[in-house]
Amino acid sequence: MDRRHFLRVTAAAGAGLLVSGTASCATSASSGPVAQTAGTATIQSNLSAPAAKAAIEALVKAFNDRRGAQVSVNTVASETFRTQLPSYLTSANPPDLFTWYPGSLLKGYEEKGLLLDVSDVWQTMGDYPQAFKTLSGKVFVPTTYYWWGFFYRKSNFARWGVTPPKTWQEFVALCQTLQGKGVVPLGMGAGADSPWTASSWFDYFNIRINGAPFHRELLAGKQRFDDPKVKAIFTPWREVLPYTDPNGTAIGFQEATTAMLQGRTGMLLTGAFFADAAPKDAIDDIDFFRFPIIDPKVPLAEEGPTDGFFASARSPHVKELKEFLTYAATAEGQEVYLKASSGTVLPTHPGAKDTGTPLVQKGRAHLKEAAEITQFFNRDSSDALQPTADAALVKFLQQPDQLDSILATWQKAAEQVWSA
Amino acid sequence: MSNRVFHAVAGTISVLWLLPIVAVLVTAVRSFDDIAANGLAAFPQSFTLAGFGDAWTNGGASAMWNSVLVTVPTVFLSLALSSAAAYALSRFEIPGRRTIILLMLAGNLLPPQILLVPVSKLAELLGIYDTLIALIVVQVGFGLGFYTFVLQGFMRAMPNEVQEAATIDGAGPVQIFWRIVLPMTRPALAALAALAFTWIFNDLLWAITVLRSSSVMPVTPALLALQGQYVSNWNVIAAGSVIAAVPTVAVFLRFQRHFISGLAVGAVK
Repeated sequence: MDRRHFLRVTAAAGAGLLVSGTASCATSASSGPVAQTAGTATIQSNLSAPAAKAAIEALVKAFNDRRGAQVSVNTVASETFRTQLPSYLTSANPPDLFTWYPGSLLKGYEEKGLLLDVSDVWQTMGDYPQAFKTLSGKVFVPTTYYWWGFFYRKSNFARWGVTPPKTWQEFVALCQTLQGKGVVPLGMGAGADSPWTASSWFDYFNIRINGAPFHRELLAGKQRFDDPKVKAIFTPWREVLPYTDPNGTAIGFQEATTAMLQGRTGMLLTGAFFADAAPKDAIDDIDFFRFPIIDPKVPLAEEGPTDGFFASARSPHVKELKEFLTYAATAEGQEVYLKASSGTVLPTHPGAKDTGTPLVQKGRAHLKEAAEITQFFNRDSSDALQPTADAALVKFLQQPDQLDSILATWQKAAEQVWSA
Repeated sequence: MSNRVFHAVAGTISVLWLLPIVAVLVTAVRSFDDIAANGLAAFPQSFTLAGFGDAWTNGGASAMWNSVLVTVPTVFLSLALSSAAAYALSRFEIPGRRTIILLMLAGNLLPPQILLVPVSKLAELLGIYDTLIALIVVQVGFGLGFYTFVLQGFMRAMPNEVQEAATIDGAGPVQIFWRIVLPMTRPALAALAALAFTWIFNDLLWAITVLRSSSVMPVTPALLALQGQYVSNWNVIAAGSVIAAVPTVAVFLRFQRHFISGLAVGAVK
């Protein structure tokens, strides 16, 4: 074999590849979806559930039909979105708008200078309550929020002859009655892919007993998880553990929903998004009650997670995206969104009409009565702290007698997150 | 007697093996209201093909097309490049060829996860981020090492006399490659093509690393996007999975014969 001949052939082949390679690169760079057309802002959306996806698409369509600036929406799986958000934000050509929630994660990005200051959008939002303003800072525009509570089926409660409780004593008595009828009183759904549902119990016990300010300080690392005040909230929790679904840490949220709808469990502490998991004919039969008051001296706090949009500081479409944010913050924009959604979220604009079902109206009043609104464990702390809570609380549900060591481990894990 | 035991054991294993697939198929033809009211594990009380329609119209059709656009050129390109590389590495005295082969193999042992950030930054730098070209380039690059390694092992086993005879008849290296070596490598190529097709078609990691628009996402991330933040329509997801499995099953059935003979030829040398 002639080696020189061989080298010549390979060199020629290599050169050919190089040429075709660069040619295809050049064409793709100009035709790729990243090279956005001038004037169209893109929204990177994590609203991948069918109902939520339809809602944001309806909002975008209504906005584009006004013949002003144009936006397009790009939906990716919420899990993909969560893991890829840092690389979206730091890329040279990021999407212009993002769906998200306010919280410490957003503050971190803001401090790094990755988020756009949208204070001038807030200029148009004068009638928004101060609470939303404080929550959002300069970089976030809230559009919807929802509430948490013990959801149950009215027909089941009627069949069992029970009524929603108000105080802790009534709540425990209700659990006793239901257990006497062979029903598991409390669903949980902290298994499978939804261990975070257990955090809602933790949040509520903490804001009912220690109050919302302490809760926020605890999640921000200014208090300790092995504090006696934290330990105290597990005492009432232990009291209702015998009434909690023994499969609570085995089945996920969606299955727990089914169990409650079928009447195998009596009620479920969950968010209003739960209606998405219910069959349509059951929705009118669903009602909820407030997490019972344990200490009447503690100002009433409720979980009211808020969702909305923020923008990238590197966006070349500042004018367009601000026009969209302004629209999304109006009563009109939020009504369009709600009409297309599954209908259990609330508009943040005080003048916007909700979907008007009795359930939603009750939910809105439910949050209005609260003196303090918390977001949810991961939103008030961070997505990094959430797994430490999941580990601790699932272990508590399984082995409640190990509480001291669980809290000590939790504090250690949390310190690692806070110092990272 | 032992025959009966064998059948009992093998039958049980087959049933266990098929159970998840049956579960997916059954879920795919149920309605969402049935699943929500009775649970995933309950006996189905509805029959509908609406899930397939939903999955197909909810981005399934374009995702399928994107997958084809990525997979076919990738399989073709990576096999073309790696067979050429394997030919050179196996049939010619290239200085340091052992090192080259070992380097290619070593690249395969590297977990792809540690390269996610560099790859996405590089794609951006080249201006191909969020295009299918980026995904093709990445997939070709990462497949090359393994395919070359397999093919060069296969080509090395070919008798030298064939090549010498062709040289005497006046064939150059390119002609030998094209007319002698490639036809003889067909079983290995077919086996690798089937494997590569499955891997690339089912890939999720690289797709979500170099792509971010739903309009260019292939099938696997599109399936993931059917899952909601809190609530998922399991019937639609199951139907989508069934649709997504069809091409790989089809390719495997088509190449099955080659697949088995390809592996066997490698084994006996």
